[in-house]
Amino acid sequence: MTITDTTTGSGPQPQARTVLEGRNLVKEYPVGARSGLLRRQQTMRAVDDVSIVLTQGRVTALVGQSGSGKSTLGRMLARLIPATSGQILLDGREVPTRGNAGHREYVGDVQLTLQDPFASLNPLRRIAYTLGRAVRIHQDARGEAAVHERSIQLLERVGLTPAERYLDRFPHELSGGERQRVSFARALAASPKVLIADEPVSMLDVTIRKEMLDLIDDLRRDEDLAVLYITHDLGSARRYSSEVLVMHEGHVVEAGESATVIDDPQHEYTRRLLAAAPNPAARRR
Amino acid sequence: MKLSSLIPRSGKVRTGVVVVLVFIVIAVLGPVVATHDPRATSFDMLEPPSGRYWLGTTQSGQDVFAQFVHGARISLLVGLLAGVISQLFSVVVGLLGGYLRGVADDLLYIVTAVFLVIPGMPLLIVLTGYLPSRGMLSIAVVIAITSWAGAARVIRAQTLSLRNRDFVEAARATGEGRLRIMFFEVLPNMLPLVASGFLFSVIGGILAEAGLAFLGLGSLTTTSWGSMLYFAQNSQALLAGAWWWFVPPGLAIAVIGAGLALINFGIDEYSNPRLRTGSATKKTRTSRAAGGDATAANAQVSGIGSGTPPTPGGASAATAEHVALTRERTDEVDPELASRIHPSPMPGSPIIEVDSLRVDYPTAFGTVHAVQDVSLTLRRGEILGLAGESGSGKSTLTNAITRLLRAPADVAGGSITYRADDGAPTDLLHLEDRELRALRWNEIAVVFQSAMNALNPVTSIHAQFDDVIRVHRPSLPAAQRTAIAKEHLERVGIDPGRIDAYPHELSGGMKQRVAIAIALVLEPDVIFMDEPTTALDLLVQRDVLDQIVRLREEYGFAIVFTTHDLALLLEISDSIAVMRHGRLVEYGPAVDIYRDPQHPYTQNLLSSLAELGSLA
Amino acid sequence: MKFLLRKLGLYAFIAWAALTLNFLIPRMMPGDPVSILIAGSKGQIDAEARDAIAAQFGISEDPMIIQYVHYLGDLLRLDLGVSLSQYPVPVLDIISQSLTWTVGLVGVSTVVGFVLGTGLGVLLAWRRGTWSDHVLPGLTFLNAIPYFWMALILVMLLSVTVSIFPAGGGYDRSIFPELTPEFAGSVLYHAALPALTIVIGSFAGWVLQMRNMTVTIMGEDYVSMAEAKGLPQRTVLFGYAARNAILPSVTGFALALGAVVGGSMLTEVIFNYPGLGYALFQAVSAQDFPLMQGLFLIISLAVILANLIADVAYVFLDPRTRQGA
Repeated sequence: MTITDTTTGSGPQPQARTVLEGRNLVKEYPVGARSGLLRRQQTMRAVDDVSIVLTQGRVTALVGQSGSGKSTLGRMLARLIPATSGQILLDGREVPTRGNAGHREYVGDVQLTLQDPFASLNPLRRIAYTLGRAVRIHQDARGEAAVHERSIQLLERVGLTPAERYLDRFPHELSGGERQRVSFARALAASPKVLIADEPVSMLDVTIRKEMLDLIDDLRRDEDLAVLYITHDLGSARRYSSEVLVMHEGHVVEAGESATVIDDPQHEYTRRLLAAAPNPAARRR
Repeated sequence: MKLSSLIPRSGKVRTGVVVVLVFIVIAVLGPVVATHDPRATSFDMLEPPSGRYWLGTTQSGQDVFAQFVHGARISLLVGLLAGVISQLFSVVVGLLGGYLRGVADDLLYIVTAVFLVIPGMPLLIVLTGYLPSRGMLSIAVVIAITSWAGAARVIRAQTLSLRNRDFVEAARATGEGRLRIMFFEVLPNMLPLVASGFLFSVIGGILAEAGLAFLGLGSLTTTSWGSMLYFAQNSQALLAGAWWWFVPPGLAIAVIGAGLALINFGIDEYSNPRLRTGSATKKTRTSRAAGGDATAANAQVSGIGSGTPPTPGGASAATAEHVALTRERTDEVDPELASRIHPSPMPGSPIIEVDSLRVDYPTAFGTVHAVQDVSLTLRRGEILGLAGESGSGKSTLTNAITRLLRAPADVAGGSITYRADDGAPTDLLHLEDRELRALRWNEIAVVFQSAMNALNPVTSIHAQFDDVIRVHRPSLPAAQRTAIAKEHLERVGIDPGRIDAYPHELSGGMKQRVAIAIALVLEPDVIFMDEPTTALDLLVQRDVLDQIVRLREEYGFAIVFTTHDLALLLEISDSIAVMRHGRLVEYGPAVDIYRDPQHPYTQNLLSSLAELGSLA
Repeated sequence: MKFLLRKLGLYAFIAWAALTLNFLIPRMMPGDPVSILIAGSKGQIDAEARDAIAAQFGISEDPMIIQYVHYLGDLLRLDLGVSLSQYPVPVLDIISQSLTWTVGLVGVSTVVGFVLGTGLGVLLAWRRGTWSDHVLPGLTFLNAIPYFWMALILVMLLSVTVSIFPAGGGYDRSIFPELTPEFAGSVLYHAALPALTIVIGSFAGWVLQMRNMTVTIMGEDYVSMAEAKGLPQRTVLFGYAARNAILPSVTGFALALGAVVGGSMLTEVIFNYPGLGYALFQAVSAQDFPLMQGLFLIISLAVILANLIADVAYVFLDPRTRQGA
């Protein structure tokens, strides 16, 4: 079956292949201090029985407000936090959802980028170090020269040219957009199959958000990546993803093709979200 | 790296470094220079300082100078050893506990608490009391055992906060191992703490050794500053008036302690590369120069500081953004930057008039013009939207109008006039403190960005209503003040019964409402709202916005609404002012700007919004 | 009051740790106290006396755990053993005599130093950027002066050079210690210099901490809001800035108290002040191990108690700790 890509419109898609799948994922956090040894610890379900499928060459958007559990789900899929229950399947093979076993191989396939470009790079390390570490971990690149060459390649891939100049910089010498590009370069160092981008543009100025989302879309196409685009913004999800999942209080309340879900929302919550977005056309005067 | 870059800029640090270096030289070379043996007795007893005995002699005719320089060696060495050992301990315990969390952390925390609370000196005395032989090393170890806990707790707290930082999580996502993250990612970011902890444990070590030796518990066969004081005290040097015997060692301890503490003032500068390219960051950080616009200085200064020429063609748009900052400084006459000011046809009489306002603040790289020639008119009942990206100067502008600018930011020119109901003008920039206080909140109220921090965390909501009513309406009895407060809580949709709640007991949206209710309480003419909905969820933001618009209709106050969210402003405001790099690039009725933006920057903003699907 | 209960638990544990440390130190340190004593007595102690001393220490051939139970039992009965140097006065008697003096002197001057320093810190923060900044290096210097040296200098200046204050002792020996105005006056007169030493020695640290914290807090939004409200300077400064800035000072009390107590002990030694510090000094000099242990224990417990009081105060100062009451 072929699914017509209505949004990114880059011609007919090859056979859609599931790369990463989460089944019935649950994440519970303890709430408050446990009083007494015998009393049961109160818990809060940040993610409650969520299943998700990420497909090669596609962008899936995960939309929700803060506290909806969307970032928790993203981190579980990246295996940065253990799942309370549920399964994760990479290329159809189940991987452990807790513990460190095989973590390094796993992150070689599944990479995560974070929201805040000002905080996600170690302020004391030059770009060369940050990228170099990622290259060394994932490429088995030996020697300064090979690492250097690969780093240059990565920077050019994310549009930071001339790349040489960026290597010697500290993060604080770059703009927010540049820093976010470096984060993507670092993720690409692993040559991943899946890119989980947690709110990649929400901290950036409006005028450069589009470029960043375009970059992600380019990477998706060129590297045949499965992308999970985590955002609170339905508008950009409509433009940049083929499927969307709307999360609310740990549950997926609505899922489906982005255009369908956003243009014709079925669930009450999705409707309220859409209605709440600032809308200049709805001016009172 | 040039050698000159190693010389600290701060005078305090320079003094500290010089002091410590002098003592190190004394400790290293002193014993070589001193002609007398520190322990050799003579018949020149209790002689005051002279050419022969630079610092006089002791009761048994020993040369005080020789003892002083030999003592320097021992005191500094014990201090240094104790500092190194205790700091190693603190770092390992703090880092492991803070990073690993869980049971390991609980255990380490309790052990730390034990050593923190049990007083060091008595423990030290008891421990050394049992030591069979008191060598320098064992004294240093014992000192370290009794003094590591404080620094360990500080490092643990810092690790806890750092491990939640994105770059640590990013390193984990990249596949870095635990130890590598702890020691290569987290630890370097704590070097200032470790260094200052080290300095303080050296001071502590020197003091503790002196204290022990003074009690006769040090190694009495070696000469240290403490043992000099011990012998001076035991030989009644005080009564003999032999000040030269006991003043130098104590003074030396105090001076070197002060020197180390002074160095600590400047440790940040060394370890933080942000300070290497510009010291302006330090200024903005310590004083939060222009309210929320500290990033303005950062962005501009780092653009300048990195000193790279604008990237030639082919640069990515992101680089262009970076370059724009640099260029902005050099060719300010770019026609693109000419303002597009539409005459404002808003009805109503003016209430605040800003005329050619300029706000500057000095940085190490020259003056940053945070606000340049801004003129605005706010009319009664108008919602004026102030839009701009972070660092555009919008918060600086509103802080200037509300007189909340913090030094070193300063109004460099222009005027701000407030007009009362009858049109009588008040020059806001030249008000006496008392007049300004009377005007505040009565006429001009402020709702701060992130209500999270706008409410005093340690007093109840009631108290925060009450203080402002009491000051401005002194004749109202307490019961009536409470009634007014409750009424306003109700107006913003909060149960008046929650009036005795503390800020931490309210959700973000409720805090924002409380802040708005407090702003309304004296029924002001103008309310300045600085990003009042930015930290809120979309649905809560919608509620709060609706409430603001409804209250405006009810009370008729004017609003200056600051945000980076242009779409939001286009919806709610009557007129919009768009700021960029401290200038007003476009100003006019919201409808006009929405339909037909004139300035390329505004056009770009609107088209970006449209492309992102944010404009329906 | 979960916060308080947790703290109570922690301090109970710390108190137990102090007791146990007190038990372990003489048994764990290289070389046992009995042989140190015998070596010190230069053969004046025969085998019988030696056994008596060992028994008195509780050091025996019994397994550690039995010894530990005995030790705890003795503590429960408030039996801290008998002083060796003032044989056969019970350690507890010596402690209870000196405790009053120390609590009076150190307690009062620590509180005075804290109040003075904190107040001055707020003042310096408020006057930041003016002359007040030049006071900081001076305070740093003051903060680094060892207590005992400060005491020496004060004695030299105010007692030897100009005879204003007595150089030592707790009261005039010619007055019979009873509750008379004359005696009380003598006590205060003798306490003046040691108290001055402790106040000067400790207050600079509080000033520096409070100043820096207040400066930091003054950048917070709620302080700006208080200012925007048109509240009087005084209210903004004390009701908002200082009110929040004092919280870390109270929490940091534990960190600082140890240093103050340590310094005060040395101060007592210089002034021959009849408190715990002087007693500890004499015990150590005379190798009176039972007294030394007892004093260490009581000083530790006092500091633990002071910390607990600071934490209770914190609960009153910070509503966030009262959550879930």
